[in-house]
Amino acid sequence: MPSFLVLAAKDLKLMLGLGLGLIQTVLLGLLIIFLFSLSLPIGETMTGQAAAALFWLASVFGLVLLFNALYHLEEPNNIRWGLLLAPVSPLSVFAGKALAGALLLFLAQMFFVVGLIVFLGQSLHGQWLWGLGLVLGVDIGLVILGSLLGALSQGQVARESLLSVILFPLLIPLLLGGVQLGGALLSGENLMDQSQWLILILAFNALFCAVALILFPLVFREG
Amino acid sequence: MEHGAGTLLELRAVSHFFGPRLVFRGIDLDLAPGEILLVIGPNGAGKSTLLHIMAGLLHPAAGSAYCRLEPGEIGYLGHGTFVYPLLTALENLSFWGRLYGLRPARETILALLDRVGLKAAALERAGTFSRGMAQRLSLARVLLINPKLLLLDEPATGLDTASRRLLDQEIVRAGERGAGVVWTSHDGLRDRRMADRLLVLEDKRAAFLGPVEDYDGWSGHA
Repeated sequence: MPSFLVLAAKDLKLMLGLGLGLIQTVLLGLLIIFLFSLSLPIGETMTGQAAAALFWLASVFGLVLLFNALYHLEEPNNIRWGLLLAPVSPLSVFAGKALAGALLLFLAQMFFVVGLIVFLGQSLHGQWLWGLGLVLGVDIGLVILGSLLGALSQGQVARESLLSVILFPLLIPLLLGGVQLGGALLSGENLMDQSQWLILILAFNALFCAVALILFPLVFREG
Repeated sequence: MEHGAGTLLELRAVSHFFGPRLVFRGIDLDLAPGEILLVIGPNGAGKSTLLHIMAGLLHPAAGSAYCRLEPGEIGYLGHGTFVYPLLTALENLSFWGRLYGLRPARETILALLDRVGLKAAALERAGTFSRGMAQRLSLARVLLINPKLLLLDEPATGLDTASRRLLDQEIVRAGERGAGVVWTSHDGLRDRRMADRLLVLEDKRAAFLGPVEDYDGWSGHA
């Protein structure tokens, strides 16, 4: 089994088996969606774009929680040094964390979608496959940055705030694309008419994937 | 730069600082396969720092550290046990084994745990272990990967008499199978009998480097 899969399997075993990170992520996301639903006058529904913004807001907060928890797994007993001494490329650590984080985030987002439908009265208008593709496309960018910046903030006392402060501004272009396309999806519009946002998301993913491949080995070694 | 063919590790004029504080300066050292080097010195002399440099975990502030080995051929046993507290002892060894490409069978891992006296605790989470048990689990991890260079940073910390005896045996066995061993200790008087060479770190430098029997400063370490 490739080493990044060994690492991802270990992380998932710990996070899912012990309920680390995922439960808090789901609860926080649902709480955000529920609280915003209370702002709506009775009988009114939120616009698709606002609902999509809430979905990605919940996802980004979840991302911070998940990657803090994922990198915290290597903090006790200098385990990070053990990984550095193992015959494993730092990029395998990056890929393992990103994969585990992606699966956990996607699981949490399934609950957020239910939250959008139940609390905000939203509908995907039968465009489930487009919705799935959009979530996966944006998630790739989210976990690339989450994995890179999670390594940067590991071991820091104020890691939650550090990760949030660096992560959120960098994610703006990706979230803009996600909100625009998500809004279109929830409003029943055709996503192909919004191809410029799709291109923005793909370009973001490609750019930050390249950045992460260059920076992660340095960040993880010096972290 | 040319490197000696018969050495595992070469340090040349290695110096290190933590911020403005000089830890040590001008360390020159070669380590051959099968050689056991004991490193002693007072607290803060830089023993652990030197091992971190040897392992490649730290870059020296000045000088060069060259290791001839491939990634995964260095075993490290020290204050950080590399033990996942939320995994069981069995899961810990299974994880590290697979990460090193070994895919160890459950029976192999159980036999190793038996060797370090942890078989009865194989299915317990390592986070519930005492310091000595965690150190023994860490020793089992090192035995599993069978390294060509063994770096031991005060490895006897928390170990009981039986475990220390086991550790001694493994150090000698590692030397016999051709692995280099570098070993820091606070108990040089006891441990010197197993070492081939001695490095004494004192006054921010290598105060002595040579065969153990040539060192006559043991009275200061009693």
